[in-house]
Amino acid sequence: MDFDTYELDPRVYDEMLLSDGTPREHCRPLHEALRRMSSEELSGVQERATRSFSHEGISFTVYGEAEAQERIIPIDCLPRLLSSADWRLIESGLTQRLTALNRFLDDVYNEARIVADGVIPTDLIRGCPQFRIDMRGFSPPHGVWVAVCGTDIVRTNDGFLVLEDNLRVPSGVSYMIANRKVIKAGLRRIYRAARVREVEHYGRLLQATLRELAPAGRSDPCIALLTPGVFNSAFYEHMFLAGEIGAELVEGRDLVVNDGFVYMRTTAGLRRVDVIYRRIDDDFLDPLVFRPDSLLGVPGLLHACRRGNVSVVNAPGTGVADDKSVYAFVPDMIRYYLSEDPILANVETHLCRRPEGLEYTLDNLENLVVKRVGESGGYGMLVGPHATPAERAAYAEQVRANPSDFIAQPTLALSRAPCLIEGRFEPRHVDLRPFVLRGRRTRMVPGAFCRVALRRGSLVVNSSQGGGGKDLWVLND
Amino acid sequence: MLVRSAQGLYWMSRYLERARRLCRLLQLQTESLVDRPAREIHFGWSRIYASVNRHPPAGRIELLGSDDYTLADSYTLAGDLTFERSNPDSVWSCFDQGRENARQIRQSISTPMWTQLNLAYLRLQELEMPDIWAISPESFYADTVAQIDTFEGVAAATMYRGEGWRFMQLGRFIERAQLLAAVLLAQLTAEQQVEEASDADWTGLLRLCHAVEVYNRRYSVAVQPRQVLDLLVTDPRLPDSLGRSIDRAAEEIDAIGPGPDPDSTGALQRLAGRIGSVIHYQWPDHEDRHALLDQVRAHCYELHDRVEAGYFDYAIEDAPLR
Repeated sequence: MDFDTYELDPRVYDEMLLSDGTPREHCRPLHEALRRMSSEELSGVQERATRSFSHEGISFTVYGEAEAQERIIPIDCLPRLLSSADWRLIESGLTQRLTALNRFLDDVYNEARIVADGVIPTDLIRGCPQFRIDMRGFSPPHGVWVAVCGTDIVRTNDGFLVLEDNLRVPSGVSYMIANRKVIKAGLRRIYRAARVREVEHYGRLLQATLRELAPAGRSDPCIALLTPGVFNSAFYEHMFLAGEIGAELVEGRDLVVNDGFVYMRTTAGLRRVDVIYRRIDDDFLDPLVFRPDSLLGVPGLLHACRRGNVSVVNAPGTGVADDKSVYAFVPDMIRYYLSEDPILANVETHLCRRPEGLEYTLDNLENLVVKRVGESGGYGMLVGPHATPAERAAYAEQVRANPSDFIAQPTLALSRAPCLIEGRFEPRHVDLRPFVLRGRRTRMVPGAFCRVALRRGSLVVNSSQGGGGKDLWVLND
Repeated sequence: MLVRSAQGLYWMSRYLERARRLCRLLQLQTESLVDRPAREIHFGWSRIYASVNRHPPAGRIELLGSDDYTLADSYTLAGDLTFERSNPDSVWSCFDQGRENARQIRQSISTPMWTQLNLAYLRLQELEMPDIWAISPESFYADTVAQIDTFEGVAAATMYRGEGWRFMQLGRFIERAQLLAAVLLAQLTAEQQVEEASDADWTGLLRLCHAVEVYNRRYSVAVQPRQVLDLLVTDPRLPDSLGRSIDRAAEEIDAIGPGPDPDSTGALQRLAGRIGSVIHYQWPDHEDRHALLDQVRAHCYELHDRVEAGYFDYAIEDAPLR
């Protein structure tokens, strides 16, 4: 197959090709191998990958339709390549970022020096719905509030930018591993020749991280993964990870708190749980403290956590650090806590809570992406350039009504990578979500869940909004 | 092991056993459509409906003289038992429930088990009544049974023999015992309502349990209802017999051992032993087998209730802490 009709746009960074149509240095062998393959061969790889997902039931659930449906995340069979230099940059940038974010969380729930020193406004923290007043005075083992983070990174012609820190219950890591498994099997020889770095040991690293965070004195901790249940969109991942780390997959109704300790109901009685890798939101964690109508959580869990009898990972309250408004201050946090310059840049962000930010947003709506601070998963956002004037006007009303609920960012020219679309190579926008683990030290596998906006021209990569996945290969030197 | 996982495995197994048994019944029934008289076909449907304790869609099954009617009726009845979503005991629903239970506790079964089950489920999702009826419905049912048998083979080859395995086996054998008791009772009841019993109805039961050859060797080719009943109830070597299902369930209960409340699981053990003794020691000399079978079936239901109470629904306040 050739790249003759492949469309290049100098304004958009292409992950494989330079603007003159020749491959980037690290993509040369893959480019050459793809050219030697026929369209049928590649379509076969694509089809087998999709079929294998369906057979293995690697699915997620989509909401908002008549009934929740089990779907497969579409996979594109062409891998996206990252050079080792690019990876080193991402790795050091994310390590720095997570270190600062953990320092921030420890600070903001204890002395709050960063607020006292005027680096971040008080009302921004206090007004953030994810700030959990019940966590004040808490210090988790080793100061680790966020042990698992999945940061969204995009690339433009100006380099890598951090789009979002997902510090609560980031998902996607199972798709990184599933994508690798099927693409490796489909492109055997190319994979071997490319000298790709492994990602399959993620489970081992996660287990080591969770064990390090167990309450003091529990040398052989019992780990449980807390899932909202089979109807959650990421249930496959919860199941997969529980298997990988040798944890019991539990739901709220499997756990009970007795005298400040957490137990799970087994066929032989109650067994103490030491570490809970929770994949449910703060709101639903403990009906005694957070939402009283939650059926997913465990009454008394927060109390047990605060007493240090169980480690809840990530700790409750981390959402304050990945709030879309607080995000704007992460570079300042890095300077404040680490006295370093940020290695990875933020996307320029306008806070509508500030008069000048609101004015700028409303004046430039057609060029901006506007997001609701409390939402995630691509819900509730406006992509200005792709919206109709009526949609923009309606959205502007909402922004005016509650300015502090919104932030605005420029519409980024997200980089594109070749995808196999109807038997041809076509460019599609991509991002990447690497996963960073933090126990006593930082751990990462060299890889990421690479999301791709499969609809032509679309910038939205979220799985719930028609996005798909790609395998991402970090190459050895 | 986590209660919910044990429960998931137990129910997965029960639903698959239920699907398997129903497919086997439907396989034999649709085979009979090829060459059996309308009376026998009618009897067969009545027996199936009685054994799953369900009313046919039209309320009752008419015995009509015309072959065309019999075949059209059969299509409706088979559809009701195979693909009807609103029928919780249809093959489709049992499969759906079995797979859903497996999905929720997928980390407790091996990957090849899950893949096999999921493939069988996806196949069923793609089919509808006209697809299976057009050529050979019996081969559809035979294939479905084979899929479930393959699943059990894969399980036997790949699953860790821990507590999860035990609960799976326990579910399977309790379900098997309940179902066979129900089918045998349906046969005895239906027989009382017809003027002359047919050998074919009894042979059908032997075929259902893969027992024709062993029956012919042990007794004679002439079918005696009493001997059929004895074989299907008591033979410890026949995989589908009531006696063997109960013995196997009792073994699994012993292997799982005491639950959080030893009194409750002790009662469960004793009950399993008691059913076994009824079958092995009381049955051969007992005159009223219908009544005894009724009693065994009631005990089989109680067995399930005691499993629930002993291992799954125990009171948290009294449970030991570990």
